Amino acid sequence: MDNTPGGSGSPAGIRSFTTVGQWLNRSGHDTQPAEVQARYLDVLAKFVDHDGKDPDELVAYCFLRKRDTGLRFVSSKRRVAVNESIDAFVTAQGWVGKEAVANANVIRSFLIHNGVFIQGKAWTR
Amino acid sequence: MEFKQVVGDRRTIRYFDPSKPVEIEKIQIMLEAANRASKSVNGDYARAVVCYRDELSESTLEQLKTPTTTVQLDLAPVAIFWYGSSDYVNTGQERLKQLVDVGALNSTHGWSHAYVDEVAYTHVVKPFSQDPALNLWMVSVECGQAIAHALLAGVDEGLGVALSAFNAEVAKKALKISDDMIPMWVMLVGYPAEDPKAGGQRPRRPLSEQFYRGQWGTPFEEDPKVTERLRQEGMIQAAADGGPARRQEIRELAERFGLPQ
Repeated sequence: MDNTPGGSGSPAGIRSFTTVGQWLNRSGHDTQPAEVQARYLDVLAKFVDHDGKDPDELVAYCFLRKRDTGLRFVSSKRRVAVNESIDAFVTAQGWVGKEAVANANVIRSFLIHNGVFIQGKAWTR
Repeated sequence: MEFKQVVGDRRTIRYFDPSKPVEIEKIQIMLEAANRASKSVNGDYARAVVCYRDELSESTLEQLKTPTTTVQLDLAPVAIFWYGSSDYVNTGQERLKQLVDVGALNSTHGWSHAYVDEVAYTHVVKPFSQDPALNLWMVSVECGQAIAHALLAGVDEGLGVALSAFNAEVAKKALKISDDMIPMWVMLVGYPAEDPKAGGQRPRRPLSEQFYRGQWGTPFEEDPKVTERLRQEGMIQAAADGGPARRQEIRELAERFGLPQ
């Protein structure tokens, strides 16, 4: 993981990844105020740093291809693994309560807008 | 509520108020509505396990949550897991004769105990149950009717309802489902956290594109006066357009529940 300024582990660098651009565009986050975008990118940047895959690799990891047709599909096992990695990351960050739920779902938003159907907890209190 | 209004008001609700309890009597009404649905051979095809989220042990609830079912199970106070039973083969013969006895199946249409024993059960019901494809078709259609009744009864009681797929393997273990049950849907039940209209009715195609008169391919033409009456009586409502108001509502719900945007 590139932790230098502009690398994938930094909020500024992460924006240059194709999947991150798609996320911001498809979700409409690119029309949000700069500070909101920066917060989302910061969460994602910290996660990819924690997980060890850059954003494009993270999305690619969630998919496998059918041997017979070559069609791409979301791997159930890998989706579970990513959810576990998100949970571990949130715990490591010390986030609790609604902040923990919302920040975990920032990462899931990135995955969702790149075609990965994935859910985590909702904040219900 | 009037029937047409109930049909028109039904939506797949995806945002429930997680803390507003669902009265058990309303669940009973939904189950009784399912029980009153049309049932071939008067069989009990639809079976269900009613799960109040807050009554489940934490471990069971966690087992049921998968990366594709977590949000709905977090938000809906009640989840009804619907299964299909093939038990009609065991009860069909006596149930059919009971229908003869109570005057539901009559000689005017050819029915008799002898016909049940020698033909209807032996040559129709029993072989059906032994053909996996036919059995699945039969159980699924019959369950669908029961489930639809329960959905509409829930709407009539002011509840929000939704059908969703679930991880059958996980649910079987967590809810101790018997081996012979065929998984159908999980029905999520609760009071809507979103507007009960959920942005409007889902887009539907004209009747003439789906239904025919007399023969396949001859469109069933709608009478505009009937269509207008259905608008007035609530069966046909404004269609969802995903406009700014709905998008704003979804943003607010996402903020409230900390969901992905």
